[in-house]
Amino acid sequence: MERQLILPMEEKYREYLIDESKFSGEADSISFPATQDEVIIIVNEMRKKQSRITIQSGKTGIAGGAVPKGGHIMNLSELKGYIDSGIFDDGTAFITVEAGMNLMELNREISRRFKRHQYFWPPQPTEVSAAVGGILASGAKGINSSYYGDSRQYVQRLRMVTADGGVLELERGADHEELDMILGGEGLTGVITAATLKLVPKPECVWGISFFFENRTDAGLFAERLKECSRTAGAHIEAAEYLDRTAIDLIEQRKETMTKIKELPDVPAGINGMVYLEIAGEEAAVEEMAGALMEEADECGSDSDQAWAVLGDTEIEKMQAFRHAAAETANLLIEEVRRADGRIRKLGTDMALVGRSFGETLKIYRDDIEKAGLKASIFGHIMNNHLHVNILPEDYQQYIRGCNLIDRWTQEYAFGDNCLAVEHGIGKLKNHLVDLILTKDQQDRIRRMKERYDPQGMWNQGNIFKEGR
Amino acid sequence: MRIAVCMKQVPAYSEGNMDERTGLLIRSGLETAVNVYDLAALETALRIKETAGGTVAVFTMGPAGAESVLREAYAYGADQGVLICDRAFGGADVLATSYTLMQAIKTQGSYDLILCGKQTTDGDTAQVSGALAKWLEIPHFTEVSAVSVTGEKRFCITQTFERQKLVWDIAVPCLLAVQRHIWPVRMPSLKLRMAGKKKMITELGIDKFEDQDVGHYGLKGSATQVKRIFPPKRTSRGSVMSMEGPAAAIYILRTIEAIQGVKEEGAWS
Repeated sequence: MERQLILPMEEKYREYLIDESKFSGEADSISFPATQDEVIIIVNEMRKKQSRITIQSGKTGIAGGAVPKGGHIMNLSELKGYIDSGIFDDGTAFITVEAGMNLMELNREISRRFKRHQYFWPPQPTEVSAAVGGILASGAKGINSSYYGDSRQYVQRLRMVTADGGVLELERGADHEELDMILGGEGLTGVITAATLKLVPKPECVWGISFFFENRTDAGLFAERLKECSRTAGAHIEAAEYLDRTAIDLIEQRKETMTKIKELPDVPAGINGMVYLEIAGEEAAVEEMAGALMEEADECGSDSDQAWAVLGDTEIEKMQAFRHAAAETANLLIEEVRRADGRIRKLGTDMALVGRSFGETLKIYRDDIEKAGLKASIFGHIMNNHLHVNILPEDYQQYIRGCNLIDRWTQEYAFGDNCLAVEHGIGKLKNHLVDLILTKDQQDRIRRMKERYDPQGMWNQGNIFKEGR
Repeated sequence: MRIAVCMKQVPAYSEGNMDERTGLLIRSGLETAVNVYDLAALETALRIKETAGGTVAVFTMGPAGAESVLREAYAYGADQGVLICDRAFGGADVLATSYTLMQAIKTQGSYDLILCGKQTTDGDTAQVSGALAKWLEIPHFTEVSAVSVTGEKRFCITQTFERQKLVWDIAVPCLLAVQRHIWPVRMPSLKLRMAGKKKMITELGIDKFEDQDVGHYGLKGSATQVKRIFPPKRTSRGSVMSMEGPAAAIYILRTIEAIQGVKEEGAWS
């Protein structure tokens, strides 16, 4: 019997109307293609019906990019096969997978395919249920991006089905510019069905170290010092993350329900800031660097007797899960408030501010939040002052004050090299700020791509640009 | 108080193949970890030491790479690490493993308290601790879910079984096999990890044992042999239903009835 590909929206598909941003939408139909051929059939059918398509994969986005605004939902969770893999002459490797494969499945597939030499794909968002297609479309990065650089360089090739039902194959080198426009392009030009990902060798040794600070200013000072000693001969800081006490409290209130982290002990009372580092490289050099950082942390007021140090993939994954729980628990709290008032959505920043110290950046955010009479959890990436300030409103009035505060920050910091949407995308939640987030030139380039591949406006309406723009 | 803790290096994930000839798990290339039950035993030892004073020695049996278990134990706060490593020990079952551990422990003098995790995540027999206590001729308590120091070398312990809880007032020497959640396990300390890198490890081969008969160790000294190891067959993906409580309850009952084929007319109506 032929599989019914396009399904009418029913109550049981309600969860597909919302994503991790807690922003919800509406749709007329939904599909779960399991092959590229099925994707093409669905696209052709939707084109005939003149229906819009919203692409979904892991639904882990927090800017509302996967939330439908009417029309059809194409959910790629069934399109998650392994295609091929191999090793390049320069010692790096590749794996080709379908777009719906999530990060956890990808990592498992990489270990299965490369048994003798260990490889990994550097863009590693801490949300391991994020799918490859979504990571590529949103430009998601992860905690090690300051070391490994722009995540686009780890995509070698991709396959995309366009609005006319055609299949476009783009390769790094020949189609460099176009490929980089589609990566991070929030699905405005078509649906990515498969990608060849460039893998790099795993470091010989990684230590995951947590330093604790009673005083927020001390934590800021230490974070700033890290920027000056992030690399030695044979070792480097691969990730440097900050969590404030509110973020830690939210995690601890809910960690019982989180399998990976429920056995971690509580962070001691009196701690107001935590800095989590991953140091990678040759074993002796990593150890030496860890010793030097321990002294630095001591000088900055951290009690090194309290510092944690874990080794091995399993233990490091637990600490990454702890860090990820900062985002997840903020989202859960928003979900609770949203149940009481459906107008409330996620309120978080994704800005990297240059030209300020980490401590200064932290203080500005903290002071503004206090002045606005709001509560927020603050966590994020130290090396590029890229903090996720998650405002936690208790009611709609607070939500509006939070929206105004984020809009004000976006306006105030829209200058120079500041980046206002680093890794979450603009989606639908921040499209009203697009003129501040993207330059006119950047917007024009996106529009030209859209015009070329999707003149009828089939794909992901409302992402980046408000509808009708 | 002299406390000994037995710890084992195990595969971090339940993947890997069996050597068809020996029936043993092929461990090369697999990421390893410390058996989580043994971390609970170490945590218990450290808490007792913090209350009653003394030293904590960790014994591990395995290839040279198992030294990492001891370095890890140092990062948690262990005082001494003993690596029991010899080709003659390979392929040991419960009988040979417990005998080897007993021989190794005896080389370091007598201990007041010996702690083990109640089982490992690879072998899963939960029998080594009992066999070790038998060899050492000391009392053995398994499924220990709580321990408190009550006096000079005396403890109050709780054993929790499926339908029974037993509370004992015990004296040393004895062997306790603890449950995984007896305490929240502390995190390894950066400072202790750094210091532990420089600490000595005591290495023991068969030549250091009182009994040097190779026939008593490893495969030769084992009374049992594993015939086959295989992962459980994956069940096919089930369907996900979303419905209100009462409707869901009826749906679940009907499904169970359909599977069991034991529906009695009107029983669930």
